[in-house]
Amino acid sequence: MNHRPFEDWLLTEQPLNLDQKRELQAHLQDCAHCSALAEVNLELRSVKMASPAAGFTARFQSRLAAQRVRERRNRLVGVLILTVGGIGLLGWTLAPYVIQFLASPAGWITAFVNFFLTLFEMLRAIGDLGSIFLRILPGFIPPLGWMIILSTLGGFALLWTVSLWRFTRFVKGAQR
Amino acid sequence: MNEEQTWVLQAQRGDDQAFTQLVETYQKPVYNLCYRMLGEPESAEDAAQETFLRAFQHIARYDSKRPFATWLLSIAAHYCIDRLRRRRFSTFSIDEEDDDSPAFEIPDADAPNPERESVRREEKESIHKILDSLDATDRAAIVMRYWHDASEVEIAESLGLTVSAVKSRLHRARLALGKRWEESSMKQHPQRRPHESPAF
Repeated sequence: MNHRPFEDWLLTEQPLNLDQKRELQAHLQDCAHCSALAEVNLELRSVKMASPAAGFTARFQSRLAAQRVRERRNRLVGVLILTVGGIGLLGWTLAPYVIQFLASPAGWITAFVNFFLTLFEMLRAIGDLGSIFLRILPGFIPPLGWMIILSTLGGFALLWTVSLWRFTRFVKGAQR
Repeated sequence: MNEEQTWVLQAQRGDDQAFTQLVETYQKPVYNLCYRMLGEPESAEDAAQETFLRAFQHIARYDSKRPFATWLLSIAAHYCIDRLRRRRFSTFSIDEEDDDSPAFEIPDADAPNPERESVRREEKESIHKILDSLDATDRAAIVMRYWHDASEVEIAESLGLTVSAVKSRLHRARLALGKRWEESSMKQHPQRRPHESPAF
């Protein structure tokens, strides 16, 4: 049996005029396939909305409260695991040094003091060298050279500022 | 700004009471969608509760340009689709779950016409069964179309599909439902000829 155009009318739910309705009714008398389509359509439209049992909102509030307790507990467990893990890792990394230090504290203290003294001496030498350069250098560089150096430094400073500004603007946009 | 938009805005600012008002307003449509999708009151209750919980957790992401109901039904539909897919792969079969329910219901003797009531109930049971035969997304589209009067555009937004995909899914689903309906009618009333359909 030819179901066109009746099947299309039923499947697309297009509005029908009076003649089309009459044609469809006549077709449905003989066609089990289109009749089933029409029936199921009607049946789906006639079934009412299902309602939840009374007290749905109260049950939701209890569920929300339970969820919050669970989230808090999970956060606490997470923080505890991180803290204990971090302390454990730090202890494991530092353990050999602590053992060595406890075995000969005098040697360690001497090495420590020596290290800082050397560092201090080195920084003082660099400072002296720098001050000598600053006294000698201006005489060697012509005014044009100074202009080039200062312009280059200014350019770098500008580039750095613009990069920082653009980077911070991107981060704000991403959070939105 | 209407009352609903005010509640949504307040809920976005962390007002639990405002969200409770939204739950109160939308419990029925959300529950109905879950019930029609999952077919069992217990699963539907759980899915509806989970839908509201997810909506509460993600309400800051809700775009107020979209209707709130569409957003909520979208969460419910996706949750039910996931659940149906998981159910398909679990060892528990739907048939086994259905074994708990009685095979038939005793007609209500006080009803005006017990025979007709019994037939109506059988047909509603059939609606559940034939909906069960649909693919989860097709079922969601059908439920939204018939029970929630959602337009094709709204269904597309809710299910994350294109409008043409929704049209094609609705077309296919209606055809499948018609076929199943015809088969079940033949089984239930083998003596009834097509033109004796109670619908016309």
